[in-house]
Amino acid sequence: MTVSAEPLQRVVCQWCQTQNERTATSCRACGAPLDIKDLVSESGWREAPRIKDMTEIHFGNSQCQVEGDIVPVAEMQMAPGDSVIFEHHVMLWKDPAVAMSILSLQGGAKRMLAGMPFIISVATGPGRIAFSRDATGELVVLPLHPGMELDVREHAFLLASHHINYSFVRIKGLRNILFGGQGMYMDRFVTTDVPGLLILHGYGNVFERTLKQGESIIIEPGAFLYKDSSVTMDVETQKLTTGLFGGTAMNLARMTGPGRVGIQSMYVHHNTE
Amino acid sequence: MSANMNQAASAQRNYTCSWCGTASDGTRLSCPGCGATVNVKNIVTDSGWTEAPGRKDMAVLQFGSSYCQIEGKYVPVADMNLSKDDSVYFAHHVLLWKEPQVNITNLPIKGAWKRLMAGLPVIMTQAHGPGHIAFSRDVPGETVALPIQPGQSVDVREHVFVVATGQVNYGFFQTGVWFTTKKDDETETHYPVGYLMDRFSVAQAPGLVLLHASGNVFVRKLNPGQSILVKPTALLFKDQTVQMQLYFEHPGGNTPTVLGGAAGGLGLLGNIANVMASFGQRYLWLQLNGPGRVAVQSAFEPVEGENGTITSNSQALRQRW
Repeated sequence: MTVSAEPLQRVVCQWCQTQNERTATSCRACGAPLDIKDLVSESGWREAPRIKDMTEIHFGNSQCQVEGDIVPVAEMQMAPGDSVIFEHHVMLWKDPAVAMSILSLQGGAKRMLAGMPFIISVATGPGRIAFSRDATGELVVLPLHPGMELDVREHAFLLASHHINYSFVRIKGLRNILFGGQGMYMDRFVTTDVPGLLILHGYGNVFERTLKQGESIIIEPGAFLYKDSSVTMDVETQKLTTGLFGGTAMNLARMTGPGRVGIQSMYVHHNTE
Repeated sequence: MSANMNQAASAQRNYTCSWCGTASDGTRLSCPGCGATVNVKNIVTDSGWTEAPGRKDMAVLQFGSSYCQIEGKYVPVADMNLSKDDSVYFAHHVLLWKEPQVNITNLPIKGAWKRLMAGLPVIMTQAHGPGHIAFSRDVPGETVALPIQPGQSVDVREHVFVVATGQVNYGFFQTGVWFTTKKDDETETHYPVGYLMDRFSVAQAPGLVLLHASGNVFVRKLNPGQSILVKPTALLFKDQTVQMQLYFEHPGGNTPTVLGGAAGGLGLLGNIANVMASFGQRYLWLQLNGPGRVAVQSAFEPVEGENGTITSNSQALRQRW
């Protein structure tokens, strides 16, 4: 019996830090191509990885295949006992055998008053179910490691594995609520002991940057997609005067680190006047 | 010419497109029937859906003695080079540009009143060669080329048809898929796949139909008796042999607790609201039963009236978990 002298080599995904086999061409945890370097702009924004058509992503005993490049589809092959949570309007098709249930949510009346989805659906394997949204964009795959907390713009999450705790947080400050463009609440995803999978759909293209402690960036509120819970968000009003004719004002969001901030390039102006 | 070369040439002449079955000599980069890349390995998902074939920008399709070039990626343009003996018909709102010499006339359609009531174009427009004319739609997506063979019949969802060659017979039929909702004293009827569907067929000569889908397109073939659930508004086209009906699915496992409601901050009120909202919660699907092909588009609109109180509906199956 001989022992191989070759050292065990691994390729680390630059997007999610998962270790992959040396021969892998895409990350098994987030689908990011491993043969393409991170694309970072001069200003520090990193492009979310362009997931190749038909890339497979693994979580638990289940798989997710990303299909298409205009409005990508996340097709899940659910193992028995594995489940995903989602808002029901993103379902594209399913096997009749996939069992459906509803996630018991706390604070139902609050969600109803805030106009958030009142029902979060749960699909449990075995079987296949596929999800997509209603406009051109990208799927952002965010494997969440234990201890991570991520805040996501409402209605932007496509699905999350059942390993992730789902809740929602109220946006602080009346000005933030009225002029922040996010509404009253954001979705919050927290992992406990086991890593989980979170897939978002961003309109247009998605970019991310990591803010240092105390570092700030000002963004259009409609472009906000996600942030680490450690990042704070405040509305800043920019007055625009036009001499004798008065003026107007635009509201922007100041994000302050430390942590990641994700934005989408196709957005809607909210309350900018 | 050597024997080997003869054999190779013979093999090329017998090339058959794996997407649409069109025979060609295989010397072009793309299938003249549907524009699929020649020799491309069909991309099939793990679950059996086939992606619409990778069509290279500027792929050229041939019909009769005319050509169609598909240009662009996000909102592709179908650029027709019509010969003097060929014609195409289309809904007038998809016309992008044309050369002045291309003659345009009205194509009479029977059942105009029904179409008017269904919100479909009452007038179909016909363009006669020679000359160039181009078509495109108003949303990002894929252009799907559907060659129609004699005896074949394809049903297409409303508002996705772009253009068809003159050989193709055009008709429409009532889908028979509907439900009614009631709010206060008003009852409203909804047609989740439309009141009417377009039907395309050819009698003798093969024809070509171009569709434009929102987002990406996936096709699969259902065996006899096999069924799948799709969002009604995601349906793009199906073979005539595929049957469809409504399917209501009621999720289970909703277990709100008094403790959960209290933890939510509004106590019993929160809990009651939770129970009320989830009571009667259901998902509305379109069940497609084989045999035959079905195609879906990945960007789709919400079904109108889906969340209302349904008082009656067409034939449907119901699943309670």
